[in-house]
Amino acid sequence: MKAALFTAGSMLLLLCPLALAQDEPLVIGDDVTFDPNIGFDDSLFADPFEETAADSSDNWLDDFTFRISQQLSAQLHEHEIGFGALGTLPKQSEIESNRLGLNVRYQNPFAPGWLLQGSGQYRIYWPEDYEYRANGDSIETEGRINELFLQRSFSSQSFKLGRQTVVWGETVGNSVLDVINHVEFRDFSIIDIEDARLNQWMLVWDYFGSDNSSRFSTFINLYPEFNPAPVRGSPLFFDPGYNLPDYDRNGKVLLEAGTQYKRSSEGSDIAFMAAYLFENQLRYEPPAPGLVDARPEINDFLLLGFSINRAIDKLLLVFDLAYSHNVLADSFAFPGTTSLSAPVNLRKDQIGSSFGFEYAISNEQSLSLGLQAQKLLDEKEGLEPGQSLINEGVFGSWLMRYSNSLRNGDLLLSSTLQGDLQADSVLLQLGLDYTLDDNWAISSQLMAISASSDSQLRAFHQDLRLSATLSWSF
Amino acid sequence: MRRLTVKTLTLTCLAIAWQASAVSAQPLTGREIMEQVEDYQLATSDSAFNRMQLSTCRFGISDSRITCAERPRVKALESVSKNYGAEGKDTKGVTVVLEPAAERGIGMLTYSYDDAERDNETWLYLSALGRVKRIASGNSEDDSEPASVFGSEFTTEDTDTGKLEEYEINLLEETSEAGRDVWKIEMIPNEERARKSRYSRTVSYVDKERWVPLRVEMYDQYDKEIKRLLASRVEQVNDVWMARSLTMMNLVSNRLSNMAILEIHLGVDVEDEFLTTRTLTDVAFREAELQELRAQVD
Repeated sequence: MKAALFTAGSMLLLLCPLALAQDEPLVIGDDVTFDPNIGFDDSLFADPFEETAADSSDNWLDDFTFRISQQLSAQLHEHEIGFGALGTLPKQSEIESNRLGLNVRYQNPFAPGWLLQGSGQYRIYWPEDYEYRANGDSIETEGRINELFLQRSFSSQSFKLGRQTVVWGETVGNSVLDVINHVEFRDFSIIDIEDARLNQWMLVWDYFGSDNSSRFSTFINLYPEFNPAPVRGSPLFFDPGYNLPDYDRNGKVLLEAGTQYKRSSEGSDIAFMAAYLFENQLRYEPPAPGLVDARPEINDFLLLGFSINRAIDKLLLVFDLAYSHNVLADSFAFPGTTSLSAPVNLRKDQIGSSFGFEYAISNEQSLSLGLQAQKLLDEKEGLEPGQSLINEGVFGSWLMRYSNSLRNGDLLLSSTLQGDLQADSVLLQLGLDYTLDDNWAISSQLMAISASSDSQLRAFHQDLRLSATLSWSF
Repeated sequence: MRRLTVKTLTLTCLAIAWQASAVSAQPLTGREIMEQVEDYQLATSDSAFNRMQLSTCRFGISDSRITCAERPRVKALESVSKNYGAEGKDTKGVTVVLEPAAERGIGMLTYSYDDAERDNETWLYLSALGRVKRIASGNSEDDSEPASVFGSEFTTEDTDTGKLEEYEINLLEETSEAGRDVWKIEMIPNEERARKSRYSRTVSYVDKERWVPLRVEMYDQYDKEIKRLLASRVEQVNDVWMARSLTMMNLVSNRLSNMAILEIHLGVDVEDEFLTTRTLTDVAFREAELQELRAQVD
């Protein structure tokens, strides 16, 4: 444990001095010699011109990209969380993840207008990883296909069939329209929705306008999937006393479909969308007497949306609007939490908006802010006396990001703050990404959570996590 | 990694071969020389299809020779651009990263407008985001801080052309550089331009025969040389003299970047539809179009 913390901490500390720059210009004396051609020796970089001739032959391996990574993360703060009469939850200082990963990506435009693309991952969970412990203290492995699609494009049309993602909305990180694909927040190593989206089997048809500045994009989700329940043993798993199984289709055919019209004009993009969807989050009814499996319920709803952005100098304004018809009333939207509360089984209409800005402070620094606010319409209607909704009034979340790129982009410092609109919780993340060379990179994160007793994140109050990942890409 | 356009890259290093005939018998002024260079450059930036390698490293001087003090970071880029507008001074360009593997497929689309009243537009495709994202990148080059070109020591200010009227231009002397006869020309920004520039003046060594800047020195407000550009591999391609290897040395950070233009094809037939956001997301479309471009030049 101490060794792991030392390693992770050292990675952070060692990288800090790299940001320091020299102030005084170097004076190149007259005695410095250069290449006779004009004063510089191209061989410093090998000889790219020679390499081009040598590398001109196609290699099937060129279509692959590999990334091998080793991740280590730990919860550092030893403390207890009080739950009143229910007692306390002790939080140990311990390693939560210790895993080796292999990511493979394949992209092959094998014929004009054709593309085959796929990606997958394989994980090995070493001792001290929660997956290892959950597997009876033995090494656990896991593999899955992320992307796998065939694309055909011709003239103004494009078809993509296979596992893929569809992303709607302009607000990065917490758009109310980014609900097409399901997500998995398995632990705190992933808190960004960009990394948490899971691909689904879809057919996507894009029709481009005459100058490609407008586009109709229509999808049919052939096999809608739902947010996986937290893995037993993970930091986000709380034993409800019964199992949380996947939804059993029992032969039922489920489909989702939607379409978006998007148009770009100078300084702005605008989009309208409509979709028939299933809520990504399952609702669990307690198990029937004598059984150990909860009963997952699904809910279908209609979504109408609108999004727009506007670039003004260094400022980019973004706005998303969503109207959802027949969503379950107990839903909430803070990333990383799941609905285990007893549902009231009311279907209501909901209006939501996410909006914010991105500001380029300089060429190296940027700041973004996004707010997401939602409200159920006629929220009191249908409630029994004494019954209340989990989310009453306006609810939602906010997210602020700052990043600073140094050393020709090799070193990226970032910070993320996110919380809910009721100010019940706040999550701070400090990140450091350093690219060692064209193959090696290291990233490190420090994350702290503060949550009130009313927050969905109450069980993580005062948690402090440090993680580091070393990766090799080729 | 903002606002890279092939226009800005190629404009710096291109010159046309036939300009010798344009040189009059009477001595040219520094301004006339730079205007001539720029006119030729603008005329040759249209409909270009390039493959480039961008290498960056920290450098040192050992035994009076410049050496990389670390393994260089290398990016392979492919780009396509086309000029638009009444005078062909607006540019649309697409650049895609081929290497390194970790950045493969990152694509950027830029619309650069000559009119200072119009904001440049940039879209970026990052596979992690899963969509094309418009970037808040600031106003046209005149109003904003120079941007690094794909994380290199080249900035948009280094690679941009135009606005000569904002400079006092002096022909210092006729001398030689690397065995070539050159004009040594000093450019001093006026007050307005100086506010937007990192340089108090630049000194260029322009090849008298080939009209290629072979060396450019950039000075800060204390008149210390802070950057130096060196050009090599000056070759004639399609009747165009160009430096196919450009090295920018940052004398403050002791880092340098080399831009090797491995392939350059001018005057190719670029479809307008290619220079749109579709090219960033629709890889099948992009590769089909690129194949047609390659067929034109093979």
